[in-house]
Amino acid sequence: MVDYEVMVGNKACAVACKLARVKVAAAFPITPQTSITEYLSELYASGEMPGFEFVNAEGELSAQIIVQAAARVGARSFTCTAGPGLQFMHHPMNDTASGRTPLVMAVVHRGLKSMQPDHSDLMDQSWLGWVHLYVENAQEILDTTIMGYKIGEDARVRLPVAVGYDGYVLSYTAEPVEIPPQDMIDNWLPPYKPPRSLFYDSPEAPIGRGGGDRGGGDPNMAWKIHHGAVEAAESVIKEVTADWAKLTGRSYGNGMIQEYKTEGAEVILTAMGTVAGSASAAVDKLWKDGKKVGLVKIRSFVPFPRKDFQELAGKYSAIGVFDRSIQPGMGGPSYREIKNSLFDTGSYPVVAGFVGGLSGKEVTVNDFVKLGEKTLEFAKAKKADAHPIWV
Amino acid sequence: MIEIRLHGRGGQGAVTASRIIAAAAFEDGRYSQAIPMYGTERRGAPLTAYVRIDNVRVRERELVHTPDYSICFDEFISMNQIIANSLKPGGVVLANTKFKAEELPLAGDIKIATVDATGIALKHLGRPITNTAILGAFAKICPEISMKGVEKAIYKYFPGRIGDMNIAAARASYEQVSELVPAINKEAPKEVVEIVSGGYGALKDVSGWRVFEPVVDEEKCIGCKNCWIYCPEAALEWTANNKPAMISRSCKGCGVCANECPVKAIEMKRVEVKKK
Ligand code: SF4
Ligand code: SF4
Repeated sequence: MVDYEVMVGNKACAVACKLARVKVAAAFPITPQTSITEYLSELYASGEMPGFEFVNAEGELSAQIIVQAAARVGARSFTCTAGPGLQFMHHPMNDTASGRTPLVMAVVHRGLKSMQPDHSDLMDQSWLGWVHLYVENAQEILDTTIMGYKIGEDARVRLPVAVGYDGYVLSYTAEPVEIPPQDMIDNWLPPYKPPRSLFYDSPEAPIGRGGGDRGGGDPNMAWKIHHGAVEAAESVIKEVTADWAKLTGRSYGNGMIQEYKTEGAEVILTAMGTVAGSASAAVDKLWKDGKKVGLVKIRSFVPFPRKDFQELAGKYSAIGVFDRSIQPGMGGPSYREIKNSLFDTGSYPVVAGFVGGLSGKEVTVNDFVKLGEKTLEFAKAKKADAHPIWV
Repeated sequence: MIEIRLHGRGGQGAVTASRIIAAAAFEDGRYSQAIPMYGTERRGAPLTAYVRIDNVRVRERELVHTPDYSICFDEFISMNQIIANSLKPGGVVLANTKFKAEELPLAGDIKIATVDATGIALKHLGRPITNTAILGAFAKICPEISMKGVEKAIYKYFPGRIGDMNIAAARASYEQVSELVPAINKEAPKEVVEIVSGGYGALKDVSGWRVFEPVVDEEKCIGCKNCWIYCPEAALEWTANNKPAMISRSCKGCGVCANECPVKAIEMKRVEVKKK
């Protein structure tokens, strides 16, 4: 039977681990991730997760190595961290992905310049070739964590998946969450079977940790295969999300992006993570005022929904991109990716790059109303202000 | 949608209370959301939490800026205008205090109800944790949630005997809460509520946090500087006669200094709640 509970985001994450029958979790507590480790410890202590081991590691670097090793020998594994803890994990995270080790990691966003959330912590890891999913609410945490195992363990992907969600406003915020029954998840998510050899059953050349030496003489090979695997994740994310919608009735667009009131819109806004919730409330307000502004929530940052944006490009006269992070000197990451995606299409809507919500700065419904209005103005002028437009 | 703001201190259970309200609304068949706002989690630090109740899933993920209701769990904070600021016109304040609603120094286009939640908590729980002790009062004055929903939600957070005790406290406050009285003073000062409680004490005035404050007996003090070293807020200054003295704006009243003093020269004295 489907159960409901009013729970915080971090609990939804721990409950998802239980439903996915995670066998090994290792983590080091860091605000605002800490209560995931507490909920997991409680589930361990209460015996609700038979066969589950929780390792309270002495640091994030060790936590990553523990789950990486556990996943390699066949245990479905989970870890979680935030902000500087994620940076401390960086080195072994590289091996987790290069060694094609599926596991799920919750990244409870904590910015790199304060304890409050922005997306700089996970953006900082975007070179490592993990799958990066950004989620909006507690229900989506639960759903996406379970989906993350199905995506990452798929033979076409076989990669670790990071599920990012904002600290405080989501990790500690309580809201009603639907808990699917255990047998439903058991039927949907088969037990994790690691490949017989991590290195030698790849249809192309084998890939190993460090990589270069196993490329059949081609030092490019390890990167080539890794790049292909991340790209292959796109269709798997779409399949799994559609499948999940059939199973639970909850849909998240096509998995890569989720559109809201884009039909008949003149311009669109984009947002990632929790701010997409406020943005959708703003879109309702804008339509009520006769302002035709749609919303595209970006769920997957790695791989980037390039094809989706190429399809969207011709339909709207302007795209107002909202980034909750900025790479100093380089700009907003989703702004850059969107512009990059559009170049080959030959249709050039005005693309405005808003940056805000940094270090926990609040982004309100009214802020998004203004961004929608600004994007309409840019569309009319056929030109946007220079990037970044600070919010 | 109705929006609620809760004022309390770390340790009083205001965050749990916000979750109980959200769960109670959900038990009553509504959607809800409870957002806590606290920085570095410190016992005694003022914190706010927010609840939204709606008929559809709540998507707005920002703090509540113009609440319909404001609930205050702390007797000291109850004397401060911040609990009455930026409410919607005709908004309601529910304060934990021994004072009558008409005696509270609050201003604005608001209605006020009071209940002695600390007294109720001490009686039913034996501890001054006022969260459940104020929720019964809230169910009485707020038509958006039912007492039945509150009781069900309390059992979710406190199963068994502890739940029974907390429900007894909630029922007592349901009975004892005052009538809603319009604020006498209509002009609210245009003051913005401070919602970010991060950062450390040295930069902030934390004098309002103190329930107890350190008083140094200079006769007993041997000038060893233990208190000065251990104070987590650097809230003691060194006086010309080689004795420690409290820096009022920095001391949060934690009592570490009194605990560390080898000759018991520091006494923690209860600060009286007074009307301004
Ligand atoms: S009570 Fe003592 S130790 Fe605590 S903040 Fe005040 S002076 Fe410092
Ligand atoms: S610890 Fe006690 S004796 Fe030492 S300086 Fe402080 S008050 Fe004086």
